[in-house]
Amino acid sequence: MNGEYVIPPNAGPAWRAAAEYGFDMSLIEESLKLTPEQRLAEHQQVIDFMIELQESGQAHAAK
Amino acid sequence: MPQNDQALLMRLKDSGLEFVVIGGLCVVYHGVPVATFDLDICCPFGEENVRKIESAVKDLNPVHRLTANKLPLEETRSSFKDLKNIYLQTDIGKLDCLSEVSGLGSYEQVLQQSILHTMSFGAFRILNLDALIAAKAAAGRPKDLDAVRLLQAVKERKAQQKELF
Repeated sequence: MNGEYVIPPNAGPAWRAAAEYGFDMSLIEESLKLTPEQRLAEHQQVIDFMIELQESGQAHAAK
Repeated sequence: MPQNDQALLMRLKDSGLEFVVIGGLCVVYHGVPVATFDLDICCPFGEENVRKIESAVKDLNPVHRLTANKLPLEETRSSFKDLKNIYLQTDIGKLDCLSEVSGLGSYEQVLQQSILHTMSFGAFRILNLDALIAAKAAAGRPKDLDAVRLLQAVKERKAQQKELF
C-alpha cells in the first residue's frame, strides 16, 4: 500500500513549501539518490517511452 | 520524433563548439525529474560558431523548426553571421542554441555560472544550481516557476547535507 508522503521532520521551509504546494517530493528524494548521469539516463528512458506512446497513439488514431 | 540528448551533446562537443547546457536537462541534472523534449544550450554566436553547430548536425537534416516552411539550415548560410538564436529540428531531436539567457546574460556570463561535469560520454558545462534558479525565475512561465520551487527545495536539501558532513 502506498501511503501519503510524509514531510520529514528535518525538512526546511523550501522543501515543506513545495510539498504543501502539492509536489510529490518522494520523486525528488528518489532522484537525489542517483548521480547526475543516472538522472539523465533515467530521463532519456522516460522520454523514449513517452515518444513511443505518442507515436503509437498517432498511428492508432490514423487507422 | 526521437530526442537523443546524449548523441546531440557528443556531436556538439566533437564539433569544437564551446557551450553550456541550460534549460530542462539542467533541471533534471540537478535532481528534479521533469520531462523535457529538447536540448537547450547557450553558446557564442558569429559565423564560425554557427558553422560548428551546422557541422555537428549536418547529416541529420537540420531545419529551422520555428520558421513557417521549416527552412533547411544549410539554405540559411548567408545569414549565419547575423543569427543570435537557432531553433533546430534534427533527425535525432530538437536543439535550441541561444546566445544569451534571461536572468543571466550573455554566453560569457552564463559560462561563469556553469560547472564542468565529466560523464561517461564526455565532459560538459552545465548551469550551476543558483544560476538555473535565476534563469527559470526570469523565464517566468508556470512550468518554470514550478521548477524554481523544486530547485529551491533541492538547494536547501543539499545545504543541509553539507552541514552534516
